[in-house]
Amino acid sequence: MAKSVEEIAEAMFNLVKEAGSQKKLKPMDLTKSMIQMFGDEVDKKICKEAIKQLINSGRCVYTYFGGSFIELPHREGAAND
Amino acid sequence: MAVDMSKRRTDYGPPHYERFLPPIIKENYGKWKYHEILKPGVMVHVSESGAELYTVRSASGRLISIDKIRIYCDLADKYCGGYIRFTSRHNVEFLLTKKENIDPLIKDLKALGHPVGGIGNSITSIVHTQGWVHCHSAATDASGIVKCVMDDLIEYFENMKLPGKLRIALACCLNMCGAVHCSDIAILGVHRRPPRIDHANLKNVCEIPNVSASCPTAAIRPATVNGKPSVEVIEERCMFCANCYTVCPAMPLNDPLNDGVSIWVGGKVSNARSEPMFSKLAIPFIPNNPPRWPEVTGAIRNIVELWAKNARKYERMGEWINRIGWPKFFRMTGIEFRKEHIDDFKHAGLTFKRSTHLTF
Amino acid sequence: MADNLPETPLLNELEKGAWPSFVKEIKMAAKRSPMCQDLLGQLEQSYREKIGYWKHGGIVGVMGYGGGVIGRYSALPDKYPKVSHFHTMRINQPAGWYYTSKALRDICDIWEKRGSGLTNMHGSTGDIILLGTTTDQLEPTFEDLSKIDFDIGGSGSDLRTPSCCCGMSRCEWACYDTMALTYDLTMHYQDELHRPAFPYKFKFKMSGCPNDCVASIARADMSIIGTWRDDIQVDQDAVREYADKGLDITSDVVNNCPSKCMDWDGKELHIDNSFCVRCMHCINVMPKALRPGKDRGATILIGSKAPIIEGAFLSSVLFPFIKIEPPYSKIKDTVDKMWDVWCEEGKNRERIGEFIQRVGLGNFLEAIEIDPVPEMVAHPRENPYVFYEEYFEEGDDDEEEEES
Ligand code: HEM
Ligand code: HEM
Ligand code: SF4
Ligand code: SF4
Ligand code: SF4
Ligand code: SF4
Repeated sequence: MAKSVEEIAEAMFNLVKEAGSQKKLKPMDLTKSMIQMFGDEVDKKICKEAIKQLINSGRCVYTYFGGSFIELPHREGAAND
Repeated sequence: MAVDMSKRRTDYGPPHYERFLPPIIKENYGKWKYHEILKPGVMVHVSESGAELYTVRSASGRLISIDKIRIYCDLADKYCGGYIRFTSRHNVEFLLTKKENIDPLIKDLKALGHPVGGIGNSITSIVHTQGWVHCHSAATDASGIVKCVMDDLIEYFENMKLPGKLRIALACCLNMCGAVHCSDIAILGVHRRPPRIDHANLKNVCEIPNVSASCPTAAIRPATVNGKPSVEVIEERCMFCANCYTVCPAMPLNDPLNDGVSIWVGGKVSNARSEPMFSKLAIPFIPNNPPRWPEVTGAIRNIVELWAKNARKYERMGEWINRIGWPKFFRMTGIEFRKEHIDDFKHAGLTFKRSTHLTF
Repeated sequence: MADNLPETPLLNELEKGAWPSFVKEIKMAAKRSPMCQDLLGQLEQSYREKIGYWKHGGIVGVMGYGGGVIGRYSALPDKYPKVSHFHTMRINQPAGWYYTSKALRDICDIWEKRGSGLTNMHGSTGDIILLGTTTDQLEPTFEDLSKIDFDIGGSGSDLRTPSCCCGMSRCEWACYDTMALTYDLTMHYQDELHRPAFPYKFKFKMSGCPNDCVASIARADMSIIGTWRDDIQVDQDAVREYADKGLDITSDVVNNCPSKCMDWDGKELHIDNSFCVRCMHCINVMPKALRPGKDRGATILIGSKAPIIEGAFLSSVLFPFIKIEPPYSKIKDTVDKMWDVWCEEGKNRERIGEFIQRVGLGNFLEAIEIDPVPEMVAHPRENPYVFYEEYFEEGDDDEEEEES
């Protein structure tokens, strides 16, 4: 049974949350994990949709630290008040 | 952030260029037959239809204020029917259909302090990056050196007396945002000291696993310093890329005593005559000497003058050096050859001299 | 307001001289923008102390997009509070960098209201660079820009804003329509441009002929460089005219031909086109007499990049010649396949050129289903360490290949 965009986005969100500050995940890492978790129930295209939804909802943000990653929104070290 | 994503326009891309093409270009698109350089900074393109388009090229300086852009707009309205373009090297181009407008436009541009030139066998604007004006990893300023070098070489922007084209580029650190590595002369900012670590604060502002992971040469590892979790750098492995500082503000790399610039020569991108080539190291290090960097401008003038005097017609810097050989280049310029000139990275052996073809 | 300008004795030295002065520009903008006043202060301190004072910000951006904004914070925020945040926005330029004064004025008005009033026309990738604003102004700037149809460009591990030379719009040598292809690819790959999903950045650059005015061979992951397959078009009368006007055709043209395929007998110029390497030299010297042939298209090369991490590369040949015509399906199919392989197997911060070096060009070609041809190499290998992946056993059917 195919997974919905919402379900995948939720699963991705949990991965990002678990990774926390220990490991930074790239969009491709999320997609690969989804394919590992759900097998035939997902494909790259729907994962892309899920990432878009995850970002548009504001639950996760793109970051750039010598490469682009997906993280929970947080205050960065360099920011000034 | 309260943004209603459903109402938001995204992914619409840049405006279609046709909206900005002057009528003469729309009418003659793909029909240009030949061009001629009329005088420095001015060329005419002639179409199969007989239409003539005059281009006046002027240096913008790259870092420009909206005030200047508005003045450019006034000039475009006055002389060009409200159309204007920029080139890949930060020049601004005015496209005219009336020949009699060329000289008044040039007069206005000069009055504004923007020289006209950069076409044909000349030195056009320097492609460069941000430097101290905006970048965190800059080993030198960009706009400042560029200004000094071009102040000094202005005659070669405004005339066409050189044997061939000469392209100069500057990048303020070895990330080389401007991809300067294929220029006749490249000015490259260099750091020479590994990051200094603010052990007291590192844990508060940076995530240690990410800092270790950020280093392309795996020079950084977690360590406890004075009882606090922090990192250490294996200094022999550091190649001064500033990635760690990008991730972690507690690892600044910038250092007044050890930062400066290096000069590279003999690269080209065009396929004309010889194949594209990388620039090669001429001067490993010149300390920063703001505001006018006289040692840098002097070194560049020396190289430019020697090339101008000795190269054959059309010969680019790299083609000239390939003909005379590097030993002669070092002898002629008086630049000291040192250990740093010899490559010691992967495949370095390919850069050793492997024949007896030598000049004396 | 002008009296709010800080003392800048060192920077003032850069107002002198014949080249346009960026210090004058910043001062001009500082009449209206307090940000620029603090920028001058901080820059003067950099000049005094020979060191930069910026910190990198990696999170700021506009909602939904993962690129196009470069986060910057002053390292001296107490001293220069107005540049405490000083982020840059990259705006996707129109192909060929043509503008109307109206469009530029609209951008200026937005940037006067929302930012420092400083720009780069343009950044090295080709974008319009709006230099310096605060986090809270990013979203409103984007909203204002969208009303005048300007979108944000790329940054981070995404497709960077494609750019091109002016091509057919003003150059007789353009062998394909660079601006049309640039616009088409930019629109086709909007998602890849705005939502970083690659191991690292990817750049397209289009030049209309081998002069390569946008330096695509040195700085694009895919360099699309115009060329032709048939004979150089020669107008013998015009050649003689050049000679009559004093051009020494033998020394200036013939002797500089890298493939030594030209001959001038004082009356006619002969070119053995089967040996011509399409270097452009003769055409550059005699634009009125010589023109590229009529069977035009492009050579596509891949993989160039600046030195970080594995050393600098120049692009190398993928397609010796292909026709460049809408809808550009062959280019897009190839790009999609390349991205698939690279995204699947590439490491963080690995440009596609480095990836190809790591896995081997031969293996990469196999993965994207392109046959090797001699045009792809300067010369065949010199080292004998060939890694064969399969071998035959006694009794194998000669015709059959092992499934690997
Ligand atoms: C006389 C023959 C040539 C003509 C008519 C010519 C034409 C042009 C045109 C139309 C541009 C503007 C392109 C743009 O920004 O969209 C340009 C820029 C450029 N061309 Fe050429 N090209 C010629 C030869 C060459 C050669 C032989 C080289 C390299 C060796 C070269 C390198 C460049 C570069 C680097 C730029 C950027 C220049 C700038 O903005 O100041 N060109 N050229
Ligand atoms: C590991 C390699 C690189 C790193 C870490 C890096 C980092 C950066 C950073 C931090 C900036 C922001 C500068 C600022 O506005 O303050 C920047 C700007 C830029 N980078 Fe890079 N860069 C790298 C390689 C490259 C390469 C190879 C190119 C082009 C071939 C490039 C093209 C640009 C361009 C066009 C800009 C815009 C600023 C300008 O025009 O000067 N970068 N880069
Ligand atoms: S070359 Fe280095 S210092 Fe200069 S803008 Fe690029 S990353 Fe920054
Ligand atoms: S400057 Fe670069 S090489 Fe040196 S420690 Fe930092 S990340 Fe590693
Ligand atoms: S690359 Fe060739 S076609 Fe394009 S502007 Fe330069 S000379 Fe003309
Ligand atoms: S284009 Fe170059 S190789 Fe071809 S004939 Fe002309 S000079 Fe020779």
